Amino acid sequence: MSQAQAEIYDLGYQHYDGPRGGRMQAVKSLWVNSFRTTIGLGRGARAKILPVLMSLFVIAPPAVFLVIAAVSPVAAQVSHADFYTATSILLLLFSAIIAPELLIPDRRNGVTTLYLVRPLTAFDYVIARWSAFLTVALLVTLFGQVLVLIANSLAAEQAREFLQENWLDIPRFILAGVIITVFVTTIPMAVAAFTDRRAYAAAFVIAAFVITTPMSGLLTTEWCERSMTFAVESGEIVEELGPEECRRITGDYAKWFVLLDVGQAPTHLGDMLFDDDTPDDASILVAELPPAVPIVWYGLLVVGPGALLLWRYRSMSI
Amino acid sequence: MNQPLLEAHNLTKHYGQTIALHDVDMHVREGITGLLGPNGAGKSTAMKLFLGLLQPTAGSATVLGEKPYENITIRMRLGYMPEHDCLPDFMTASEFLSHMAQVSGIPAKHARTRAADMLRHVGLDEERYRHIKEYSTGMKQRVKLAQALVHDPVLVLLDEPTAGLDPGGREEMLQLVRRTGQEFGINIMLSSHLMGDVESTCDRIIVIEGGAIIEQGDVSEFTQETETFYIDVDDRRAEVIAALEARGIKARISGGAVVVRLHRDEQLDDIRDALVAAEARLRRLAPSRGELSDIFRRSTG
Repeated sequence: MSQAQAEIYDLGYQHYDGPRGGRMQAVKSLWVNSFRTTIGLGRGARAKILPVLMSLFVIAPPAVFLVIAAVSPVAAQVSHADFYTATSILLLLFSAIIAPELLIPDRRNGVTTLYLVRPLTAFDYVIARWSAFLTVALLVTLFGQVLVLIANSLAAEQAREFLQENWLDIPRFILAGVIITVFVTTIPMAVAAFTDRRAYAAAFVIAAFVITTPMSGLLTTEWCERSMTFAVESGEIVEELGPEECRRITGDYAKWFVLLDVGQAPTHLGDMLFDDDTPDDASILVAELPPAVPIVWYGLLVVGPGALLLWRYRSMSI
Repeated sequence: MNQPLLEAHNLTKHYGQTIALHDVDMHVREGITGLLGPNGAGKSTAMKLFLGLLQPTAGSATVLGEKPYENITIRMRLGYMPEHDCLPDFMTASEFLSHMAQVSGIPAKHARTRAADMLRHVGLDEERYRHIKEYSTGMKQRVKLAQALVHDPVLVLLDEPTAGLDPGGREEMLQLVRRTGQEFGINIMLSSHLMGDVESTCDRIIVIEGGAIIEQGDVSEFTQETETFYIDVDDRRAEVIAALEARGIKARISGGAVVVRLHRDEQLDDIRDALVAAEARLRRLAPSRGELSDIFRRSTG
């Protein structure tokens, strides 16, 4: 009877002579890693909770609306601008918490050094991380807008006619989506470049947006009052209400102070893109400004932190 | 390969008023080269200049014939193991190495194979799916070495690879470094402030102190036999010294042995005669070897 014999060969160290990508391959792999990190892939269950919740919160309302529109012939329309107004705060929260995750652990664990000794510049590193997060945020946002569009067309009497009449909404909501997601990606990442604690970065970003909203509101809200006069007529005291007088504490400058609410900077541009039938107070005030002002303000809020983010990584000593 | 792997000409690096490297010339060829010097000597600065992480203040640094600060793609052929912690604790070693291979330009499917191979070579085959945070210091050092080698570099720069290791872990790491250089055929530049590490691992040595190179050459040149001989006798040292001096050989006692300096081979016969005349019992007669520590003694006068 023959006995089967097996031998294990140790091939020793094998040199790699396969294909090698260059700098683009390095950026691409970092981008893929960042994309996976953002949505919690390859990480524990905890890392998946927030991306899943955020996606649900953003997508669920238009999904519900879509179902209603599909089954009910009298469903109302939802504007794309309103969808952004409703979801921008969720996007902001998501970004404030998740975006720092892409930069801070690398710096705290010293992994940034290992990236920068590979064919990557500091600029490549930041762009790969930034664009991966932007892609996730944009995909979620645009998916929600597509649901809104489908729901609106189903709610209309003639879906085809509705789409023919409103096809311009598609480039509008794409552009508005880019404007919002660039904003909510850049600012938290810039903050994350200057602290080694994710909680501090998230708290700073949320606080900055939370604080500026009431500040701006206080300075721009219109306060109205009516004078009351008393007269004696036929021996009786008669109260007479005067005309309502409304004013803002910042007077004619209120339209400028609206810009203090930094979280609304992308929304102002969105308002310029969509014809909103029911603008809120802030939108009415911003509309009084020259159109270049909200654009420049948004640009400053994105380019400034973006430049700081790049400067921080270019000047980092490793 | 005739071209040096690393070359520096008048390489100078200033940080503000501080001079980290001054007018350094060096040529590193194949094999394992040790960059030896005390802390703050300029070793890490030299490595960062060769990796293209810093721009020279003056002079030039070239790696594999390219200036790394101007052409970062050369880093695809370089590996680097930093001294400090540099591992993501939330990833498994396998995931991390595969990712690092891809960031170094290796396609995903090859990267996974390379990662598994490297972890086997550094002895972490069984633990490759464990999170790095669960690893001991020694295991982490091995992952650091593996990530520097995963993309099969031509040259790897190891910055204090034994830092923080206990004697057992240190010896294991040095063995891995030797294997990497000798069996894997990967060229190494190893920086250390520990002479023992360099002496036991490297073929060549560059000694750096205060931002300047004070010696460079083969390790064997520094540790070769010298003209000094040690004569170990039982207890008649004074008589032996007298008998040697009677034959024109200057002698002294050092570390319990009689030490002489010979200039001709015939003087060995004089030693034999002196020992016979002094009626001393010879235990050992051996030439002394140079030590790397002599370099620092010489440089500090």
